[in-house]
This record gives sequence, C-alpha cells and structure tokens, in this order.
Amino acid sequence: MDIKPILSTLRRHKFTACLLIAQIALTCAIVCNAIFLIGQRLERMNMSTGVAEHELVYVQLANIDNRPDAMARSAADLAALKEIAGVKSAMATNQLPFGGSSSNMGIKTDPEQQNDEINASQYLGEDVIPTLGVQLVAGRDFRADEYHDLADVYALLRKGDMNALPKSVLITQPMAERLWPGQNPLGKQIYVAKNISLTVIGVIRELARGGGIREGEQYSAVNPIRYSASGGASYVIRCAQQDREQVLKAALAKLKGLDPNRIVLEKGTFDELRHRYFRDDRAMAGILVGVCLALLIVTALGIVGLASFWVAQRNRSIGVRRALGATRYNILNYFQTENFLLTTMGIVLGMVLAYGINLFLIVHYELPRLPAVYFPVGAMLLWGLGQAAVLGPALRAAAVPPVVATRSV
Amino acid sequence: MVGYSMELALRGLRRYPKTTALAVLTVAIGLAASMTTLALLHMLSADPLPGRSQHLYLAWVDAVEAKSQTFTSLDGVTTYDYKRLKMPDAEALLAAHKGTLQTVVADLDARVEGSNGQHFNEQLLATGSDFISMFGVALRDGRSWTVAEDAARAPIAVIDSGLAQKLFGTPRAVGRVVQIKNHAFRVIGVSQPYSPQPHFYGLNAWAFGGDSQESIFVPYGAAVDAGLASSSTDGCDDATDKGKRFIAVDPLHCEWLAYWVQLGTPQDVAAYRSFLDHYAQQQTSLGSYGKKPQSQLLSVQQWLTLQNVIPDNVRLNVWLAGSFLVLCMVNVAGLLAAKFMRRSVEVGIRRALGASRRAVMLHHLFEAGMVCFLGGALAWPLTLLGLALLRMQDQGFTDLARLDVAMFAALFALALGVGALVGLLPSWRVSMVQPGLQVKSA
Repeated sequence: MDIKPILSTLRRHKFTACLLIAQIALTCAIVCNAIFLIGQRLERMNMSTGVAEHELVYVQLANIDNRPDAMARSAADLAALKEIAGVKSAMATNQLPFGGSSSNMGIKTDPEQQNDEINASQYLGEDVIPTLGVQLVAGRDFRADEYHDLADVYALLRKGDMNALPKSVLITQPMAERLWPGQNPLGKQIYVAKNISLTVIGVIRELARGGGIREGEQYSAVNPIRYSASGGASYVIRCAQQDREQVLKAALAKLKGLDPNRIVLEKGTFDELRHRYFRDDRAMAGILVGVCLALLIVTALGIVGLASFWVAQRNRSIGVRRALGATRYNILNYFQTENFLLTTMGIVLGMVLAYGINLFLIVHYELPRLPAVYFPVGAMLLWGLGQAAVLGPALRAAAVPPVVATRSV
Repeated sequence: MVGYSMELALRGLRRYPKTTALAVLTVAIGLAASMTTLALLHMLSADPLPGRSQHLYLAWVDAVEAKSQTFTSLDGVTTYDYKRLKMPDAEALLAAHKGTLQTVVADLDARVEGSNGQHFNEQLLATGSDFISMFGVALRDGRSWTVAEDAARAPIAVIDSGLAQKLFGTPRAVGRVVQIKNHAFRVIGVSQPYSPQPHFYGLNAWAFGGDSQESIFVPYGAAVDAGLASSSTDGCDDATDKGKRFIAVDPLHCEWLAYWVQLGTPQDVAAYRSFLDHYAQQQTSLGSYGKKPQSQLLSVQQWLTLQNVIPDNVRLNVWLAGSFLVLCMVNVAGLLAAKFMRRSVEVGIRRALGASRRAVMLHHLFEAGMVCFLGGALAWPLTLLGLALLRMQDQGFTDLARLDVAMFAALFALALGVGALVGLLPSWRVSMVQPGLQVKSA
C-alpha cells in the first residue's frame, strides 16, 4: 500500500491529526505506567511468607496484665486447644506475618560494632516450627529442655544474669546469607546487645517478618522462649484446611469455657489475615485497572469520532476513487493504514513520555524502572485498539457507492 | 452579537447530537475522575483543628544519653522517629512554662473496667492538664484537671460519652470510678467523642483512624503510676541497657512523650525556639556520646509534611486523574476540531457575507464552552458516585471522602476553564478559514 497519498491528505488535516497523535501518546504513556504499577501491586500481594498459610487459624487475646499465673493459664489453654479434634499443633506466640504487631531486634555480628547490622523480626513461642509449618533446611529445632518461660527470661534480664538466658536461635536462610554470605551459619554468634549473644542452631528456608511488610521481609529469628497470654498473645492453631472453621469455633468455645472474662481481639484464618492485609493494594490495583479501561475507552471513542468525521468529509472523494476503479478493499485499507500511521507516531511519542513518567515515579515514589517488555506490549495494545476503533468508520467508507461522485455536494 | 453567537452555538450543538454527547461525556468522566481524587486529597490535607492548629507547635530536644543510631543502614528498614522526649526533660519544659499552654501527649493501650465488671481495651491518652483546653476537646460534664493535680499524679480521668455509656450505661458518669489496669481512677469529666483528622499529635499510634480514637484522658504521672507503659520509643539512654529495655519502655530513660506547646505570635515562636536551643546546649553530657546540641520546633503543617502523612497512593491517584483529565481534554479538542472543520464551507460563506473573525471565533468558543458546561453538570453526579465508591473501600482514611460546597464551585470553575482551553484552539483554527476558497469549492 502506498502511504504517500495518505501522508499528503494528513498534511491537509495537520491540526486534527496532531490532536489524535497526542491523545494516543498520552494513553500509551499512562497505560504503560499504570499496568506497571498494577504489576507491582500484584507482586507484593503474592509475597511468600513461608508458613503453611491454608492450615492456620488464630485467636488474638487482649493483654491480661502480669499476673503470676499467666504462664500456667496459657499452658492450660494450649493443652485444651490441642485436645480439639483435628488440631495438629498449637502455640502461643507474639506475632504473625500480616498481623497487627511485630517485635523486632537490632542484630550485630560483632559486639563492638556501633550500629546494628540488620533488623530482624523476633518470634517467640514453643513449637513455632511445626505450628507455622516452616521448613528447616539445616541444623535442628529446639529441644524441649531449651525452652524458658518468658517471665523467667524477664527475671533474668532484671537481675542482669545474661549467662542463664537461652542461648540458641533459629534464623532464616536469607538472614544467614545476608550476615555471612557463602558461609555455614550453624554455630555462628549473633548479638542482640553487647552482652547477650545467641548461637545459630538451625536455618529456616523462609519465614516472613511479623506485622507489616517492609524491607528485609525475610529477616526473622525464632527464640526458644515460651510465651504467655500476659502480653496479649495470639494462639495459633494448625489443622487440615477443611477443618479450619470448625476448629476455630471449638477453640473459641474452649477458651471462653476456661475464662469467660477474656477479651478476644481478633480471630480468623491466616488466609483472612492475608486478605485483609492487602486490601489497600487490591483497591489500588482496582482503581488502576479502572483508569486504564476508562483511558482506552475514551481513546477508542475519540478515534471513532474523528474517523467518522473524516469519512463523512471525504465522502465525495471516496466516491470518485471508487468510480475510478478503487475496490472496497482499497478504501478499507486506506483508512486502516492511515490509522496505523497515526497510532505509530503516537506510540513513538508515547514511549518517550512513558519513560519520562517512569523516571518521575522512580524519583518521587521509589518505584523500580519500567521493564522494556512493557514497550512492545503497550504498542501492540494500542495498534489493536486503533484498528478495532477505526474498523466501523472504515467499513462505512468502503460502503460508499461510486455513484456519489456524480452527485454535486 | 453575543446573543447571536449563543444562538448559533446552541444550533451547532444540536447538529451532530452523537458527537456532542460523546464530547460532553468525555468531559464529565475526566472531570469526575480528577474531582474525586482531589476531594480526597483535600480532605486528607485539611487542617485537623481549624482555628487552633496554627498556634500549636511540637517541641523536641535531643537529650538521649546514647550514641545516635543510624537506622537507615539496616538494609532499608526505617525506624520511625516521632520526636518524643524522656519524662524528666518533658517535665523540665512543662515547669519552665514558656508557652501560653503546653502539654505532653502519649497514646497508650489500656484495659478499662467499669462498675459492672465488664472490661474493654481502650485507647488512653496520657497527657497534661492543658490538653483539654489546648486541643479543643469539648466537655459535656465536669471539668479537666489542674496543674496541681498533674503534679500530685492524681488518679483522675476524663472519659468520652461513648465509653461512659459502655461502662456505666449512661453518659452522666462524673464521680464514678473506672478501673484502669486494676487501679481506681475517679471520673471528673465527660467529653464529646474527640477525633481530629489526621491524628497529628499521636502519629505513632495512627494517622487516619476510621474508628480509633482516645476515649479516656488521664494525667501522665498517674498513668505511669498505674503501670501503663508506652509500647514504642524513639530512643533510650545507654544506662537503661542491662536487658531492661527488652521488658518495657522505661519512662525515665526513654523517649515516649510528645511535647506540644501553644504559641500566639511569631515573637513567641522565636523566643521559644531560642529557649529550646538554650535547653539543648545545657545537655552537656551528650558531648561524650559524640552528639551536638539539637532541638526542633515544628508547626502542625511542618510536622505532617515531615511525617509524610498523606498516603502515597492518594497522591499517585491525583497524578493519574490529572493526566486522565488532560487526555480527555485533548480528546474533546479533537472531536470539536473535527466538528468545527466540517462546517468550513458554512463558515466561509459567513465570512464572505461579512462576519468578522471575532464573531466566528466567539460562536465556536461558546459552543465549546457549552459542551464543557454540560460536562461539568454531568460530572457532579459522577463525582458523588466516585466518592461513594471510595467510601465503600475499607481503607480507614477513605471514610473522609466527601464533597463540600467549595469543591463544587471548584468543579464548575474547572469545567469552564477546561472549556475555554479546549475550545480555544479549534475555534481559532476555524476562524482562520479563508472566505473565498470555501465558497468556490462549494
């Protein structure tokens, strides 16, 4: 198809052609970046925690002050929870990934360092490994005799008797890799204070931080410290996926039975916790999808509107071309090629703009660079959109009968 | 001539109703999208306490006897700094009494029990005697406490009517006793529910609370006596180490109290700033930790900006909606240009018959303006729909999404501005039509 006549026609409609190109360029730039942002959100929402997410339910209790029997009561609660049919494992812990609270500690690999090397999340509780269903890739889990009660740990800390504190710790593989790249972490020491050192006895493949996501999301450690309800514990129960509802109901009944006065702050399955945690991201992704669709629709309507006008305006010249021997297909092709040319110009301009917007986002919102794959994908999308939008008016143009040429105006 | 141009414009609008409808709809969608996000941004960046907040300042002095930790080195994990003070420093500033009003503030979780044995987990504000009057908490009954009662660490409390209803079954709770962590506090006042947005004086607890608000106010000294402790701190003295730091935030050696002061005039602000500088210079013991004297006095707006209170999502959405509006404008301009250029012949005849360029331009500007005016009118229900959709989202801050009269006026101004801008180019283009050529070809 010869594009020369098309270009010379477009030159006569410079103004409207430029507007159309600008419109396609803007759409291209915004849609590329919006799709990229959607991808970012989805990636965040698919974050892996390393725990057996579909098999966990939790009950979070309010703080019951430091009464002397807190430990015994938690032990009684856990014993009762483990009796429920279908429960595989249960524990009291201080935090969960995506949960409301988190405890974190600064970690040094050398007690003389001034600044902490990393900041790691700290899981407490008995049977954290089997209950969360995380996988040990090296070393071992804690022995039963390694666990200390939290109250005893506090007493030791108050006395300043650091040597009697539990000395072993489990850490995640990413954390080990960060602290000692390429080395065997087993037996290595970490320092949580100048005079408190812990020995790594096991390595967990993956365990996300408690609470919200932030950088270093896989830096977690597990301490052999039995947790009690005095600090407002979460009871976490592992059971088969299909038993979750029923186990949760039974657990709540048991807990109420043991102490009708306690306050349950939150309860549910881990899946619900994850779902709730990502509601902002889902909402944002929804808004972005909506904006993209609206943009594409508006652009398509604009193309339809302009093409319709051009077809109506050139009615007579189309008739003349048809009378001179142009086929319907030639006419159809003419409008499609014209649209393709305009869209291509818009896309080229739009890519430059998309890159500029991306640079802006990198500077102001700390987003990563737009991957190159978005450019051809965006181009294909807009070419497709342009061709689909122009099809209707082009078919109408192709249907113009040659006899129009003989009519005056 | 204006009347005639108007009439022509009206006729023009009716001539190709489908294109006109398309243009109107495009304007409406573009405007509604940008108005929705602007309304949200407007609400989020609104003044939390109109009439009061311009006199409130957050004061901070570095007095932590420890080396400064550079948290940014921790693989990008940022530990937030809420510019709080240790209790002795806060009390020294309170005692100096250099502002019109001053108070300390700390949000704490408390287990609260009323007369019927039921207990609730409530947000408690440990604060000073000036808080109620300084931050404009409306009292329904009773009174706030005095400086003397602050000093005596009296176990007294002001509770809000919601909590009074929950604990005692009636909002008239003055004189009743509420148990906080098993310590008896006498209720001396009942307030209206209080929740300024954003929650600027306690950003460490929350910024935009859907339903979180403090329901009980007590003297900070009495809160410490009752064993309530902050769950977070901005920094502790080295002296607190020995493991105690792992147990609870030490009120004497850790920063946990935010210090707010009310200052009336710029002179007062300058005077207070130099007072703080002076206080910072007196912290001579800090030299041994390699720290220079540091102090800050921040207005509410500076504080909100520093803490990045407006969610990035919202600002990103405003950008998105803004670029969407630009696109819609370009689209409408294209449609109008095509529509106007179609009548080149007609315009040519009008020009040949003596119509001035100005008259032609005016007619087309009116037509473009009308399209945008109609678009603006249609954007109004669409914006309401968009805001309703935002409120349906369970995000906490989106509950604030409402449209007010000023926003409505802004909407129309924006619509007409868009109209002028959009209409200008095509109108100018059509007014440049040469009379002779068009008449000939017709």
